[in-house]
Amino acid sequence: MGPRSDLPLSDNPAIRILPWIIALMVYLATLTLAGGLLVATMADEWSRSLTGALTVQVTPTKSESLAELDARVAQATRTLLKTPGVKSAHAIPLAEISAMLEPWLGPESNIADLPLPRLIAVTLDRELDREALAQRLQKTPGAEIDDHEYWRTHLVMFLRSLEIVAVIMVSLIGVTTATIVVFATRSGLAVHLEVIEVLHLIGAPDDYIASQFQRHAQRLGFIGGVAGGVFGVATLLGLSTLAGNLDGAALPSFQNWHWPVLAALPIASAYIAKWTARRIVIRALTSMV
Amino acid sequence: MATSNNTIVKFEKVGIRYGTGPEVLRDINFDLAEASFSFLTGVSGAGKSSLLRLMYLATRPNRGLVTMFGKDVTTVTRNELPAIRRNIGVVFQDFRLLNHLNVFDNVALPLRVSGAPEDVVDKHVSELLTWVGLADHLKALPPTLSGGQKQRVAIARAVIARPRLLLADEPTGNVNDAIAVRLLYLFEELNRVGTTVVIATHNEALVDRFGHAQLHLDKGSITHRRVEPNS
Repeated sequence: MGPRSDLPLSDNPAIRILPWIIALMVYLATLTLAGGLLVATMADEWSRSLTGALTVQVTPTKSESLAELDARVAQATRTLLKTPGVKSAHAIPLAEISAMLEPWLGPESNIADLPLPRLIAVTLDRELDREALAQRLQKTPGAEIDDHEYWRTHLVMFLRSLEIVAVIMVSLIGVTTATIVVFATRSGLAVHLEVIEVLHLIGAPDDYIASQFQRHAQRLGFIGGVAGGVFGVATLLGLSTLAGNLDGAALPSFQNWHWPVLAALPIASAYIAKWTARRIVIRALTSMV
Repeated sequence: MATSNNTIVKFEKVGIRYGTGPEVLRDINFDLAEASFSFLTGVSGAGKSSLLRLMYLATRPNRGLVTMFGKDVTTVTRNELPAIRRNIGVVFQDFRLLNHLNVFDNVALPLRVSGAPEDVVDKHVSELLTWVGLADHLKALPPTLSGGQKQRVAIARAVIARPRLLLADEPTGNVNDAIAVRLLYLFEELNRVGTTVVIATHNEALVDRFGHAQLHLDKGSITHRRVEPNS
């Protein structure tokens, strides 16, 4: 049996609707927070993968034969492999470049006939002095470094902005939830004013009355929060399944630690409801005799 | 006006008005000794309910000094009020029972508010409700009770925590003369065990029959005061 209440708080329609609204808010917060977590994961993964890699591009000259170009690529690769901090370096085979260009050039294209630059994929095992590497590569004419700095900076900045937007949205949902609890609690105070006065006159302190409101609000906040959280997680699992069917390696997936963070939302909603109700009731009672 | 050691209520030049209207109580001066029994009389509108409201701390005076149990209640903080109120039992004219709570829970309220353990609540409430003849109605909700039964629940709630001061606003207003006399005997019984009793009534016959001290209000002022014969 739960704690006894002297106030018929469940009779108030404004309070009865509270769990439904909180469920909706927690549902939205779950999806928003999940989006923010996925974006954060994506930003970390991309940032990490691009930081430990760079590409060297060897541009063909007009009169150069394929064999001569291959020789320059091999020279650049050897230079790279001798450079401290380079973990691996390999020229991307023509077949692979052909596969990458196939969507634009079609399956029948013969890219060997095209003056395409050759690419060397480099992985690093530590931070590299870009200037020093550029000097080393001067031995190979037409070799240029692309360390993805431009893309990395702008892409990560964009993803971090999305993260901030997600945090702001979750905060706004929290503020909205608190505002709804404020109105529901004020309504409860107005409806039960006579009972509150009787409780005061028989010696009930403000805390005794406020604890009944806050307990009720906390219970409704938790019930609504759990309902919203369950529907939110179900939606995420559904989307996750659909994303899995797309076979998209670039799509981020949930980490194990994401789930406890999402599970904290119903608890947060219960506490927001509890402390908002308490604050409003105490403030209102203080203005009474 | 000197305050003797056993004075538990003292009003000095007290005045009260509601909003910007005229004073409904003017220059009220009186004191009540511990374990005294007083009637507060006067016609409707004389100010009896306002005087009781001041005594059960539902409102504060606009002027003057009100001392309850040795404390100036015009200056006490909100945090001190509940402890003072727990010394006061009130039987409201309209009972003010909580309709969503059954008889037992209504009567148990003052004990629970003061943090009494449930076994103590069970024992005391059951005993008191048996004493006032409502042992068979513990689970009944107030709307299902007769006027007399509600009256007894209201009295039981007012006395369950053994208050030092019992205030009753027209407690005989809704009952016939025979029950009114029985209720007065009940209040006298409580007074004998040390409770200070103040009963607001316009039933002069009842006042004459019981012969206790009398404060008479007329147009917001105390016009005469009869002391108890044995005081």
